[in-house]
Amino acid sequence: MTAFLIRRLGFAFVTMLAVLTIIFMIVRILPGDPAMVILGDQADAATIAAMRTRLGLDRPLLVQYVEFLSGALVGNWGVSLVTGRPVIAEVLSVLPWTIELTIAALVIGALIGIPLGVWAAINRNNAIDYITRLASLLGLSFPAFVSGIMLLIGLAIQLRWFPVISAQRGTFAQWALSLTLPAINLGLIMAAYITRVTRSAMLEVLSEDYVRTARAKGAPWRIVVWRHALRNALIPIITIVGLYLGVLIGNSVLTEIVFNRPGLGKLIVGALNQRDYTMLQGMMVIYTLLVVGINLVTDMVYGVADPRVKLQ
Amino acid sequence: MSKKNILAGAISLAALMITSGAAVAQKTTLNVGLASADVGVLDPHMNSSTPGKGFLQQIFNGLVRLKPGEISPAQIEPDLAESWTSSPDGKVWTFTLRKGVQCHHNFGEFTSADAVFSLQRAGTRETSSFSSDYAAIEKVEAVDKYTVRITLKNQIPSLLGVVMNYHGGQMVCKAAIDQMGQDGFRKKPVGTGPFAFSEYVPQQYGKLVANDTYFRGKPNFREITYRMIPSDAARDLAFQSGELDLYYTRQDQTTFNRVKAMPGVKALAMNPAEMSVIHLNMTIPPLDNIKVRQAIAHAIDRDGIHQFRGRETSRQAVSVVPSGYLGTNAKAPLLPHNIQKAKDLLAEAGHPNGITIKTIHTTLTGMMSFMEAVQAQLKRANINLEITPVEHATFHQQIRQNLSQVVHFQAARFPVADVYLSQFFHSRAIVGTPTAVTNFSHCKVADAEIDAARSETDQAKQVALWEAAQTKIVNEVCAIPVNESLQLWAHRDTFDLGYQVNGALNLAPGILETSKFTK
Repeated sequence: MTAFLIRRLGFAFVTMLAVLTIIFMIVRILPGDPAMVILGDQADAATIAAMRTRLGLDRPLLVQYVEFLSGALVGNWGVSLVTGRPVIAEVLSVLPWTIELTIAALVIGALIGIPLGVWAAINRNNAIDYITRLASLLGLSFPAFVSGIMLLIGLAIQLRWFPVISAQRGTFAQWALSLTLPAINLGLIMAAYITRVTRSAMLEVLSEDYVRTARAKGAPWRIVVWRHALRNALIPIITIVGLYLGVLIGNSVLTEIVFNRPGLGKLIVGALNQRDYTMLQGMMVIYTLLVVGINLVTDMVYGVADPRVKLQ
Repeated sequence: MSKKNILAGAISLAALMITSGAAVAQKTTLNVGLASADVGVLDPHMNSSTPGKGFLQQIFNGLVRLKPGEISPAQIEPDLAESWTSSPDGKVWTFTLRKGVQCHHNFGEFTSADAVFSLQRAGTRETSSFSSDYAAIEKVEAVDKYTVRITLKNQIPSLLGVVMNYHGGQMVCKAAIDQMGQDGFRKKPVGTGPFAFSEYVPQQYGKLVANDTYFRGKPNFREITYRMIPSDAARDLAFQSGELDLYYTRQDQTTFNRVKAMPGVKALAMNPAEMSVIHLNMTIPPLDNIKVRQAIAHAIDRDGIHQFRGRETSRQAVSVVPSGYLGTNAKAPLLPHNIQKAKDLLAEAGHPNGITIKTIHTTLTGMMSFMEAVQAQLKRANINLEITPVEHATFHQQIRQNLSQVVHFQAARFPVADVYLSQFFHSRAIVGTPTAVTNFSHCKVADAEIDAARSETDQAKQVALWEAAQTKIVNEVCAIPVNESLQLWAHRDTFDLGYQVNGALNLAPGILETSKFTK
């Protein structure tokens, strides 16, 4: 286990270094000048040049790169070029929002998706299966901003059960109300993915010899499905969930915008629009860390789900 | 978590769900919706963004101010300065400050030292986006504790315009910057306005609290929360649910009509309008031929665009300077819509089969829909406009690199003709030069008039020079002014701004000490 962790952390470090270098290059290749964004459209060329100097953007790229890398390694990601606020503070202020939304969406997705996928698999090619597949297809194809607006119109405007601005803290109830609609919106997409993966994994497992043997021995169908089959179908489900979780963090931007929640996705779009190099770099560090971390956890969960998988 | 806790949580959740519709704005708390994910840097001398100006304007005063709800420079009234005088040649201005004005957060009395510091800061490139506005200032002095003297190197069209509560004219408190530093000040801005900065949570909201020592009186609102909501639909829904009292609506006639029809809601269409102008780069063929430029002008139907953009939410442009500015030539000889004339001119210019011209254009929806309408109109005169859409920051960079044959620019400026003329049509401002601003057409036919107007002390003669400059620019067809879009806002009819709104120079209705809810 220790050797496994060390090996994976080594890979993670190399991955981080590569990502940081690529990001550093990409944000500077992009057209668009942060000095111009900060100063607005009335600044003359000399003022823009002075701002570039102040931001350090007129220095050689190599100098900027070394400074960025050495800063990143000791956790100093500088200040936002646009707002002047520390990057780390801005990222950390929105990170909990992203994590709680992602986890809530994952829980909703798993609670709906796994039973539905199993149900569809054991009712293969009958009405239940068709309806489930159709529903999951709808979930995958429905744009998050459309479903978000529909949820808001129905549950926040008509029924007035939830706030439109879903970014409240305070009491537990306020927090729960703020989180519910965005989590449902994102969770339904997650559920659609999980349903489809669970269904196909279960179909494969249900045709295995050991399932037939278990049934021949007279084991109850419920036990065969949930204990024998599902346990063995979990590996592909965990893989997809792990992979999709990384995507979910990035894709949550539409949900964050519609529900007016802070989050990494929204922050990254804002930083891109404003060509906020330091902010983009800081966000990428966090994002890469999250993806690498999720993959690491996913690998470790394999061993828990299936004892045949050795973490060596 | 015990069963008891879960039960208590569930009960409070249910209670809140039942009451969430009603539990919105307190009557002394105002919730404002801005169309942005962030207001940007919290420094009035750096922030030129629309949401930034709207948020910061409550915190600061100028030496003078525009009468609330007005944008005409003729409506200037005292603010931190009680009175002012100028020398006969207009080069020396003396301002007498109010006594006893207090800076927020106990930073002491606002005196001439603060005013001098503010103006010097506004005129410094390292600390100000608007430093070029102060280039004509030779020195700013504190004559005594309550007297400030500004000496100019040369006359400028509106000295009062650069000391008013707008852009660099907003007065900051020196002691706050001395204590917190420039970076610290940008996290906690300190001014003298009716509301003081309280809290800023990126991507969520900025909060202001009442300044009970405000020199015009204690504000009615105890707190204002500016919510950053970039999605038009989400902002609209938040207003409908009662979570916002005042908001920046989607900028189109359809939304304006819908909002106006909502019960208990007032929709505002305010000045300053942002004028859409098609700048033609006269150094790139075939636009170097005036007949081609005239053909393009004849092919554009301003009335059609006006109808498309909305009768109540926009108006036709009248000149290369927006209507209502001091010095706008309302009778500028704009070429009328005439397709046949456009085709004839193209033929005379050696293009009987039409031409193809190219533009790099922002992907911003409102601007793009305008340009697509223009593209359709030009097509009728055999003018093929190829649009290359790029993201907004890229657009701003590339049009300043002289890469676009045709540039569609939409802007509002300080309402004095000199600003628009100097930035868009003076040779000093030609893009790609060291003194570049936004002269995309490379126009230089009216330099003499623009410069002469700057130093003219007789206002009638000054206006005549500006009008003459506009006539020359229009005749040369450096650019084609098309349409002016108003700023669209809405609020509940129980909310009283405390003044009649015709416009807001900072692009958002200012909240005053007298603003209140009537119910």
